[in-house]
Amino acid sequence: MNCEQCQELISPFLDNDLEETTSANVQAHLALCVQCAKVCEDFAVILDFCREQPTTKVIAPNSQALWCRISNTIETEIKADTAQQTKQKQEEAKKYRFPRAWKFSFSQVASAVLGIALVSSLLTVVGVKNYSAPTPDGGSAIESYAEPNVFEKVLGKIGLIETAQNVRQRRIEQQQAAIEYWNKRVEARRMQWNNHLREAFDRNLNEINQAVSEYTLILQENPQDELSGEMLDSTLNEKMELLREFSDL
Amino acid sequence: MNLDLHNLFGLLTSKKTTILLWLSVVFFTFSVGEVSAQVKFAKSYPASKNVRLQLTNRTGTVTVEGWDRSEVAISAYLEKPAANIVPQSLSGTIVINLVKDNQGRNEVGSVNFLIRVPYSSSVDIETRMGNLNVNNIQGNLVRAHISSEGDITLMNISSGAVVAENGIGDIFFDGEVRREGNYRFTSMRGVINLRIPLESSFKLVATAPSTRSINLGSFSNGDMNFVGDGRRVVGKVGDGSATFNVTNQRGIISFITR
Repeated sequence: MNCEQCQELISPFLDNDLEETTSANVQAHLALCVQCAKVCEDFAVILDFCREQPTTKVIAPNSQALWCRISNTIETEIKADTAQQTKQKQEEAKKYRFPRAWKFSFSQVASAVLGIALVSSLLTVVGVKNYSAPTPDGGSAIESYAEPNVFEKVLGKIGLIETAQNVRQRRIEQQQAAIEYWNKRVEARRMQWNNHLREAFDRNLNEINQAVSEYTLILQENPQDELSGEMLDSTLNEKMELLREFSDL
Repeated sequence: MNLDLHNLFGLLTSKKTTILLWLSVVFFTFSVGEVSAQVKFAKSYPASKNVRLQLTNRTGTVTVEGWDRSEVAISAYLEKPAANIVPQSLSGTIVINLVKDNQGRNEVGSVNFLIRVPYSSSVDIETRMGNLNVNNIQGNLVRAHISSEGDITLMNISSGAVVAENGIGDIFFDGEVRREGNYRFTSMRGVINLRIPLESSFKLVATAPSTRSINLGSFSNGDMNFVGDGRRVVGKVGDGSATFNVTNQRGIISFITR
């Protein structure tokens, strides 16, 4: 006998409704299976409880009237809910309804059309300018610094697009700030270096400063020279590195 | 008169001999003093074939050589005032950092290293001033960085990533170019000579903005373009599998066939 069969027979077993053989089988299973024994025990407790507590039927004096009152109460609550939901829906619909019909003059429409055209052209120019991918051959890097047209210059002036020169200038300012920081640290340390080290440092710094001056001069004459811009960036990085590495000594 | 002259000549000769003798004594005394002013440091570590050496020197010459042993042998000559050296072996990396080990000290003498590592090691060395030499290395990385002055010589290198950077000084690379490899050489002023096999294939961006002197030698071909008024060469050799990026701000760049 498995547990499922046993548990189906527990109720008749407790009521002594089973044949002797089946009852013996159930008993044998209960002796071996803790789980079924527990179920049987629970059943027995429930049965005992029911036997001890005699059921008393309480009959309402007028059961029909009672049921009538209950159903009326339920109906009233349902109606109230429905009415509230309908009201809410109406209010929401009112919110999204246009208060009045659109009325524009010809000049207003024309201005709006012109405004939209202007904004979309600006966005197109900005998009093309910002998201044009460089070609991998490296040669285009120099061409990408082509002279900005008048339109781009105007946009750059009013701050809608950032020109290559603006980007470079911003980068140089950041690098100069870092250089200034490391330079202060070097100044605080360099008195402790020996002459040999101090001279080597100065020679290298001088070399870098010369390169920086050369590139700055070229860029003043030709701000579109990307190669010089790139070299200036690289040289300023080297200056920063030199100062940082010597500030540890 | 003749006799007097002869005596005088003899006197002068003997004085010269004495002076020479004295000079020799002084010279040897100083030489011995010079040698005795150096302290020797030596330490060895058992190492796996792909050990990584990471060295940061202050000043002095560093030479790293590959050898056929599973061992890293460090020997160093320390000039006075002698630097502190505390090498560490950290999970497959030998770390020597003289900048960190001597921070806060007013004056520290130069340290000249000779380090032997297994051939297949990765080598990452830098110094604030002095020469760096790396020979016979086939590991994944060879990096040599000089903050200021010094020459970099990389001989018989076969690594997939090679970086050589210095301020004032020459860079010489002699080695193979691995497929998909990355090679970067940067100098502020000096000569960059790259000696590589003729059959090498790589993409090249070489820039010498000041001198405009970029000699491609046998690697010159129709795929090479001079751009920016001859300040930069961009192109490719063979199928262009590796990448070469060479910049010499105020010096020349030359390619030599190996």
